[in-house]
Amino acid sequence: MWQMIPTLAGVILLIFFLFNWVGGDPAQVLAGKISNPEQIANIRKQLGVDQPYWYQLWVFVQQVFTFDFGRSWSTNEEVSRILLTRVGPTLTIMVPVLVIETVLAVALAVMVAYVRGSLTDRTIMVICTTAMSISFLVYIIFGQWLFGFILGWFPVQGWSESYWRNLTHYAPLPIMLAIFVGLAPALRLYRSFFLEEINQDYVRTARAKGLPEKTVMMKHVLRNALIPILTNVGIYLPSVFVGSFLLEVFFSIPGLGREIVTAVNRSDFPVIKAVTVYLAVLTMIVNLLVDVMYKLVDPRVSFK
Amino acid sequence: MSAVLPDNAPPVMHQSPGLWTLAWRRLLNDRVGVFCLAIVVAYVSMMLASYAGLVAGDWNKEKGVSYANPSFLAGAENLEAREVTNRDFGTTAKPVDLSDIDPLAPRYKEWEERAAKIAVTEVKRAETLAFGGDKWGRDVLEKAIKGSEVSIFVGLTAALFATLIGTILGALAGYWGGRVNDFLEWFYNIFTSIPYILLILAFAAVFKRGLDTIIVILALTGWTGIYRLVRAEYIKHGGREYVKAAQAIGASHFSRMFVHILPNASHVILVQLSQHVVSFIKAEVILSFLGLGVPVDMVSWGTMLAEAQNELVIGKWWQLFAAGASMAILVTAFSMLTDSLRDALDPKLK
Amino acid sequence: MSEDNLLQVQDLRVTFQVDKHSTFEAVKGISFDIPVNRTMALVGESGSGKSVSAMAILGLLPDNAIIPATSRILYGGADLLKATPERLQDIRGKDISVIFQEPMTSLNPVFPVGEQIGEVLRLHMGMTPRAAAARAVELLSEVGIPDPQLRVRSFPHELSGGQQQRVMIAMAIACEPKLLIADEPTTALDVTIQKQILELIAGLQEKHHMSVLFITHDLGVVGEIADHVVVMQNGVVQEQGPVRAIFERPQHPYTKALLECRPRLDRRPMRLPVIEDFMTSGGSANYDERPRGVTAGDAVILEVKSLNKTFFLKEGFFGKRAVPAVKDVSFKLARGKTLGLVGESGSGKTTVGLTLMRLHDATSGEVLFEGRNLLGLSDKEMMAYRRRIQIIFQNPYASLNPRFTVGNILTEPMKIHGIGKDQKERVEMAFHLLSRVGLPEASFYKYPHEFSGGQRQRIAIARCLTMKPDVLICDESVSALDVSVQAQVLNLLQDLQDEYGLSYIFISHDLAVVKYISDEIMVMNQGEIVEIANADEIYLNPKQDYTRKLLASIPKGWDANRAVA
Repeated sequence: MWQMIPTLAGVILLIFFLFNWVGGDPAQVLAGKISNPEQIANIRKQLGVDQPYWYQLWVFVQQVFTFDFGRSWSTNEEVSRILLTRVGPTLTIMVPVLVIETVLAVALAVMVAYVRGSLTDRTIMVICTTAMSISFLVYIIFGQWLFGFILGWFPVQGWSESYWRNLTHYAPLPIMLAIFVGLAPALRLYRSFFLEEINQDYVRTARAKGLPEKTVMMKHVLRNALIPILTNVGIYLPSVFVGSFLLEVFFSIPGLGREIVTAVNRSDFPVIKAVTVYLAVLTMIVNLLVDVMYKLVDPRVSFK
Repeated sequence: MSAVLPDNAPPVMHQSPGLWTLAWRRLLNDRVGVFCLAIVVAYVSMMLASYAGLVAGDWNKEKGVSYANPSFLAGAENLEAREVTNRDFGTTAKPVDLSDIDPLAPRYKEWEERAAKIAVTEVKRAETLAFGGDKWGRDVLEKAIKGSEVSIFVGLTAALFATLIGTILGALAGYWGGRVNDFLEWFYNIFTSIPYILLILAFAAVFKRGLDTIIVILALTGWTGIYRLVRAEYIKHGGREYVKAAQAIGASHFSRMFVHILPNASHVILVQLSQHVVSFIKAEVILSFLGLGVPVDMVSWGTMLAEAQNELVIGKWWQLFAAGASMAILVTAFSMLTDSLRDALDPKLK
Repeated sequence: MSEDNLLQVQDLRVTFQVDKHSTFEAVKGISFDIPVNRTMALVGESGSGKSVSAMAILGLLPDNAIIPATSRILYGGADLLKATPERLQDIRGKDISVIFQEPMTSLNPVFPVGEQIGEVLRLHMGMTPRAAAARAVELLSEVGIPDPQLRVRSFPHELSGGQQQRVMIAMAIACEPKLLIADEPTTALDVTIQKQILELIAGLQEKHHMSVLFITHDLGVVGEIADHVVVMQNGVVQEQGPVRAIFERPQHPYTKALLECRPRLDRRPMRLPVIEDFMTSGGSANYDERPRGVTAGDAVILEVKSLNKTFFLKEGFFGKRAVPAVKDVSFKLARGKTLGLVGESGSGKTTVGLTLMRLHDATSGEVLFEGRNLLGLSDKEMMAYRRRIQIIFQNPYASLNPRFTVGNILTEPMKIHGIGKDQKERVEMAFHLLSRVGLPEASFYKYPHEFSGGQRQRIAIARCLTMKPDVLICDESVSALDVSVQAQVLNLLQDLQDEYGLSYIFISHDLAVVKYISDEIMVMNQGEIVEIANADEIYLNPKQDYTRKLLASIPKGWDANRAVA
């Protein structure tokens, strides 16, 4: 828990360094072409960039902890409001993707590991390698076209006010595509975890006890393989973000990803800063949860 | 003790094959590996040829009619071409409305202006092109080749830089441990706690756009995995007896880090390098698609896919296919080559 | 006779498919019988195929193993090699059970030990979970684990190595098997624990009337527990028979050699007999006794004064926990003599070696080398002394850099210390040293992976010799080697001492080896010195309880008076 503090401090420093130092004078960006020196000075004063760096950093730290990043430079909407309204759609996509994909990949990996070395196993692995090499973009473009445009099973894009309508109507296609794309690498990786465990001595012991191969696999191997798989879910989280961001752009889902892509194109620094900081915090919290679960799964790691 | 072994024949004084030579031989024995290596080499030579202007030098020339059919579909109707010729360029209705977030939106005008300029000097346009044409009648095949140049170049250089950063930091943290390790771990935690797509976007927001920028961004955000693995290797090898023996004979820290341990971690580094080339090629495509990658006057697989998104709806699938397939073949070959490399280099096998 | 055999192995061949084109034949047509209610020992060095043969019985070989149809393993009238997987699962753990060499990795780390024992009972005896759990407690108590009610809920990592092996044994005997296969069950354990486990197995064998197939490389252990012995070498059986015959009238030269090349507590020949002596000439092991011991008049080359070493484990964010590894250790090393350092794992003997040559930083104390305190020197001043104290490590596979040629390995220290005026001279010296340690000069151009364990240890010795050291620390340097190779390396070390007047600190857990090579012996336990005395003195007349206990644990080998059933 306490390890989060230095990391969070580092994240704040890094973002501050990027936007307040490397990023150049935001007033230039904001003011556009029409500005005269007076206007620029005015904006600078408004933004506080005429203050010394340490003071700007202090302001930034305050912003992070009070959830108050002021207003967006381009839409003048309050940043905190943007965050609050955009986080829902993102989670609506991300959480099902993460959960379904992990469960599906683990289940398939057990099965593939069980028939390791067989033709089925090798065929699936080749399919996975090939599937992994096609760009996510191609899947989305093609999937949107096929299922939305040609077959008309799902709306091509869009989002509504109703949570349930979103979940049942607009979300399934993006979720399905994300799972489809994420499954191949996850399956490959988890299979390797299972194969690693199968070579351990305790598996030989389990077989020597006379346990049927199924029990060996589903009890002894599975339980041990969950340890690296769990670690990996934490590591894997950022890729889910990537997927979610792209999907939001394609399917016009008003989530954080679409917001930040727009913000980057408009150089809307407050929005980018806020989204980055809070998603970093979210990632840290998820990793913390993974750590806790890790300790539940692996008795060798003890609670302090 | 049996004194000197009976060795009547004069000792053969030639160097034995080292581990690298043996690994190379193992790789050559792996038919899949060799095949993939050949594909990768072909792509890289294509990239070099394209860079030298030997092929696809005039990808930007508008040789065919708008959305020219591929030669093998010569007979198919091409409504758009007629429409576009009639209506002049530009205002093709976009079937899917992405206007407010389409990252390319601001550029359409720019492209159209330029296209219009060239159109004036246009003489005669082909009805079909080898693999079809894009909206402006440019040859899709040449675009794909030129695009591979950019994508592979970005992937390779960014992977090299990321590997360099990751290796140096990983070596320092793993070898020295203690404070150095604590500091670098802190650094690592910062970079990994920000989802890397955000990190990339954040970097992209503050740097100006261009090929060099995207390489820098990918390298600065992509070193973490390599760092972690190299660090683990250094911790593992640092405890090995051969390193202790080197210390016992008085070898310097530098010598232990780079002469003794580095060659033993090099197989991990090589595999990582190869893996990162693949993932950076993928990342470049996504970045370019989002309009944060290569500049407007260049073509990469990502910009091609960005155009292809709208073309598919009107049935013009070849740009999507050309970009998607040329990328898929390279990436498949590269990933399978990575697998073969890992098998060939795996010290467990010897 | 045949109805008295529980299991018959007939013409067993096992071939491994190494890769697509090459195979390796590990077992080349062996036959032996396991009699009912007897202990049968399968002895051999590494690569002899002993473990492979045993694993073949239960079909526990890896997937790439090929066994031809002509091989048969008869049990209860049926051939196990042709049994269905279901039939094999029935037999495993119920009729025939196994314990392995590494108890730590052989137990599943994520389940409590009670669950792992109960699992067999539920599977084969049809017990309810409650009954199985209760029986697991009884079994733990039977194998001598204290507080069995508490321990059933422990995870494997919470137990010591000896206790883990006891859990494995409890699991193995849970269903009253007819045959227990013990695959090097004590090799990973300390000698005092080894003795307890051996006694436990022997007791259970008698109590439950089961047969035991005991696989080991250690003839000392065999002589203590076996009724019948099968000696294997390179996949073939060289000799088999009752234990008395094997020990008293060995027929095959390999058996004779194995019996002779192991150092013995009661004799100390000038040099140890090696396998070649027997394989070529039939072997006459008549060597003069070597006198040993240190007298007050011997010159001291190295003196250690109250050396302390404490490790700090990180605990939490800022916390540290002190773990003392070496506590107040003082001793003197006489020039040209050998000081043996014995102790069980965790006794701090290795730490002493590493600390006194500054591979670890000492917490406090002095190491006086020719009167100068090495621990007080700057790194630069230390360089001059580095070459004079050298070390040979335990694991011959890890102590040579796999990416260096032997030539690089040997010339590197000479370059660092400016020995030899140019590369040509260094290469010549390297050639000379290679032949001195018994390797062909062509080795210079080869890589470590082309050599066997014993040869690698010779290379490591040659590397030390390039610096012409005065003191050589041998840290378990022969422990990982097979008995026959061990004898060769010990002879080499002895020759070098005789020739160059080297002083050795010989660290080992193997009391017989230490007794053979040392003039003086220092016994350590939990970081402290228990006793220091001349080698013969300490064996004849141990002063401390711990020393006595340690000495009593050494497997005695064959005792003609032992009653063999």
